[in-house]
Amino acid sequence: MSEQLLAYVEKTSPIHRADALSKLLWVVIVVVATFQFQTTLPRVVLFFVLLFTALVIARVPLGTLWRVSPLIFGVAFLLGAFHYVVTKGITPLYQFGSHVVYREPLEAGGAYFFRLAIMVLASFLLIWTTDTYQLMVGLAYLGLPYRYAFAIFMALRYIPLIQREVEAVRAAHAIRGKAAQSPLKHRFRLWQRYLFTVIVNGLRKAENTAVAIEARGFGAYPERTYWKEFRWTRSGFLIIVSFTVFCVALIVWERVYL
Amino acid sequence: MTLPAMFIINVLIVVILGVIARFVKLGTQEKAEGWNFGFTNRDLILMAVVAAISGVVNTGTGILWNAANAAGGPLAGAALQGAFMWAYILVFFLVRKPGAMLIVGVLDTAVEALLGNPSGIATIGWGVTQGIAAEVVLAICNYGFFNWFSLGLAGAAASQFGTVWTAYLFGWDTTPEVVSQYWVATPINLISGFILSGLLGLALGKMIARTGLVRATRSS
Repeated sequence: MSEQLLAYVEKTSPIHRADALSKLLWVVIVVVATFQFQTTLPRVVLFFVLLFTALVIARVPLGTLWRVSPLIFGVAFLLGAFHYVVTKGITPLYQFGSHVVYREPLEAGGAYFFRLAIMVLASFLLIWTTDTYQLMVGLAYLGLPYRYAFAIFMALRYIPLIQREVEAVRAAHAIRGKAAQSPLKHRFRLWQRYLFTVIVNGLRKAENTAVAIEARGFGAYPERTYWKEFRWTRSGFLIIVSFTVFCVALIVWERVYL
Repeated sequence: MTLPAMFIINVLIVVILGVIARFVKLGTQEKAEGWNFGFTNRDLILMAVVAAISGVVNTGTGILWNAANAAGGPLAGAALQGAFMWAYILVFFLVRKPGAMLIVGVLDTAVEALLGNPSGIATIGWGVTQGIAAEVVLAICNYGFFNWFSLGLAGAAASQFGTVWTAYLFGWDTTPEVVSQYWVATPINLISGFILSGLLGLALGKMIARTGLVRATRSS
């Protein structure tokens, strides 16, 4: 599921046009803000603003959002439920028969649910709208040595190759009669074999890649060139400014009026 | 107990594990590269590939672990806590340079965040905390040698120190009951990290070395 649904989708929305670093900074702003809120309401507001940003401004298809919703809400819901259970209630809000709903557990559960949901939604929005190559170029622009930025790019570039490799190893085992439809213990053994084969093949490919890039002079000079240089964009600047102002306004509103 | 107090106690645990790793030398001693930060292109690409593989593997485990920890608190996910750092130890076995485990930690968790870890970009916090703890243990050993015990302790330290980030993210410092559950889970975290990360990572490295297919292991 992850490979298809959590990948860069090329579109022409203002969020897509924004540079990768601005979007990364934007995610950091959102995450920092959600940790600053002390009540649930500002988090609810921020969550719905993010949802609006994803669906309307970034034009993420509703179907995509719906299919990743277990990832966005699943753990957040469990975390919210955990805090609802462990937080002691003092102020009664409602009563359903013998069960009393208190304000404090509801606040704590809601706060943790929205805090995690906001972080995950913002992260996914970054993934859907950002080309990883641009992110690598951006990190090098920030001063990260380009060989290290390239390592990040390589790790991301290898993900689909690894997923294909797992399929190939699985098919090879199936041909030899090691069917995947077997008891759990056998499946675990198969998984061990897949992992080992994938690691060894991956390391061999890595070594060949290292030889190939060195043969092309990679790492020989302190600087390198890119086919598309990093540039700050106006839409990126707008996203950062608007969300910073919005988050600060929410914090002030919470501290003064709530 | 407040989060800073939990943090300080965990720092002490990591340092103690490092001191034990330095002075208790069990098993065959293997040589590391000392304080040599000069990563070659091959080192960096090996780290990237191992991080990508572990990122793919850990994303699946991460969903289960996140659900267990979120729903049940510190004790529920403790047994699985150590299952994420085998790649750090494997990379140290292959590269043997300081910083390799931290770099793999960050890359691995960045891959997880991009593949759909249910904690989103906050996943990188675990990469940083776990990577630093593993590095501290081997830094106390001066990066001069390693054996199964010191790598096991590096895995244990990484496993335990990662819970500092979990405590911050999941609010495990909010009630005394959860804090006490957190400390009850500590030995389980340590054992889990020792076996599932330290010993498993080393075993994988040795198995890879035995194949003779990877140049990085031919000197070992």
